[in-house]
Amino acid sequence: MKKIELRVYQIVGNEVCVSADDGHKVYESIKTFISEKKKIVLSFQNVTMLTSAFLNTAIGQLYGSFSEKDIKLCLSVSNLPELDLVLLKRVVENAKCYYSDPQKMEQTIKEVLD
Amino acid sequence: MKIPLPSIENNHKGYEELIALNKHLEAKLFDDIEINISYWFSANLCAFLGCILDKAARCNGVKVSVQNGKICNILQRNGFLAHFGYEKKTDYYNTTIPYLKLKPKEDRFFNEYVTKELLQKAEFPVVSDKLRRKITESICEIFINAQIHSETDYIYVCGQFFPEKKIINFTIVDRGLGFKKKINDRFSANLNGVQAIKWALENGHSTKQDAPGGIGLAILKEFIKLNRGKVQIISDNGFLQIDSQNETTHILNESFAGAAISMEFRTDDNNSYIISNEINCDEIF
Repeated sequence: MKKIELRVYQIVGNEVCVSADDGHKVYESIKTFISEKKKIVLSFQNVTMLTSAFLNTAIGQLYGSFSEKDIKLCLSVSNLPELDLVLLKRVVENAKCYYSDPQKMEQTIKEVLD
Repeated sequence: MKIPLPSIENNHKGYEELIALNKHLEAKLFDDIEINISYWFSANLCAFLGCILDKAARCNGVKVSVQNGKICNILQRNGFLAHFGYEKKTDYYNTTIPYLKLKPKEDRFFNEYVTKELLQKAEFPVVSDKLRRKITESICEIFINAQIHSETDYIYVCGQFFPEKKIINFTIVDRGLGFKKKINDRFSANLNGVQAIKWALENGHSTKQDAPGGIGLAILKEFIKLNRGKVQIISDNGFLQIDSQNETTHILNESFAGAAISMEFRTDDNNSYIISNEINCDEIF
C-alpha cells in the first residue's frame, strides 16, 4: 500500500514548529490516519525549528492512543535533519516510558523527599 | 524615592540583590520610584530587572537613572532604557541582544528574534551551524517551557554577546507560578525551591497530566555541560547553578514568584555535535 504524505509545514502553516498547540494540530492529523490503519509519511520539509514540546504533543502522545506496534506499522518520517532525528528519538523513548507507567512521576517526587 | 542598585552580576549575590529589590518594591503603593544604577549591571539581567519594575509600575511611578556611562550606553543599545524615558540607541557594535517583553503566545515572534540575533548575526565568531542550532534550540525550549507551565502574563528576555570572551549570556524570566508551587500543587508535595528545580531538570520529569514531557530543561542541562557553559535557575526561594564542573545550590533569603533562567554559552566550543550512533529513520518508533 502506498504511503500518504502529511506535511508538517502545511498543517502548522509555518516553518517554526515549537509550541505544544501547533504540535496538537499535527497529532490530530496523524491520529485520523492511524485510527484507520493507513500508512503515512510525516514530512518535515521546510521546517526550520522544532522543540521537544512540539514533538511531545505531535508524536509523543500518540503512544497514549495507539499501540507501539500500530505506530511502527503506520508512521514514518522524512526530511528531518540529524539533530532533529535525535530529538524525535528521545521524545519517542520518553513517551514509551511515560505511558508504560504514568504513576512513575509521583514516585520520583517521593525519591527527592526521601 | 531613590533606590541605588549595587553591582549586579550573573551570580548568586546578584540574584539575591534583585530579589531583595523585588521584595522592597512589592510593599510600595502610589510612590515615585527611581532605580539608580551606578555600578556594573550585567545586561542580560535587564530581563529580570524589567520583570520586577514592570510589576512595580502597575501602581507606582518607576524610572531608572544610570550614572555609569558605559552601562548606560549598553542599556540604551539593547532597548531596556527606552522603557524608562531614555532614547533608544542604534547598536553599531551588534553585541547586544535586545530586551523584549513578550506575551507567552508570541513564540513565533520569539523564534524570529532568536534566529535574527543568534543565527544570522555576522559578528558572531565562526561557529558551526550545529552549535548555533543547539544554542537556539536550548533557548527556544526554555521559552516554550515558560509558555506551557508558568501561566504568566508576560515573558521577559534579554541577552549580551561578549566577542572577546567568546560568551553569549541570555536570560528568560516569567512572573508565573514558579517551579515549587507548580510541582507541589500537582503532586501534593512539599519540595523546597531547590528540590523543585532539581526535580524539574531530570529527563522526563513533568507536571503535565496525561501527556509526556519534561525534556526541554534536561536538554539544556546536558548541552551546557558539553558546551562548558553555565545555567542558573532561580524560582521561589531556590537558586541552582550548573556548569561543566559543578552544581551549586542556595536557598535564597527572599522568594521570587516566577522563574528566571540565565544561560551562558561558549562560542569557542569545538564539539562537532555530530551524532556518533547514526539514527536510522526506520528505527525511530
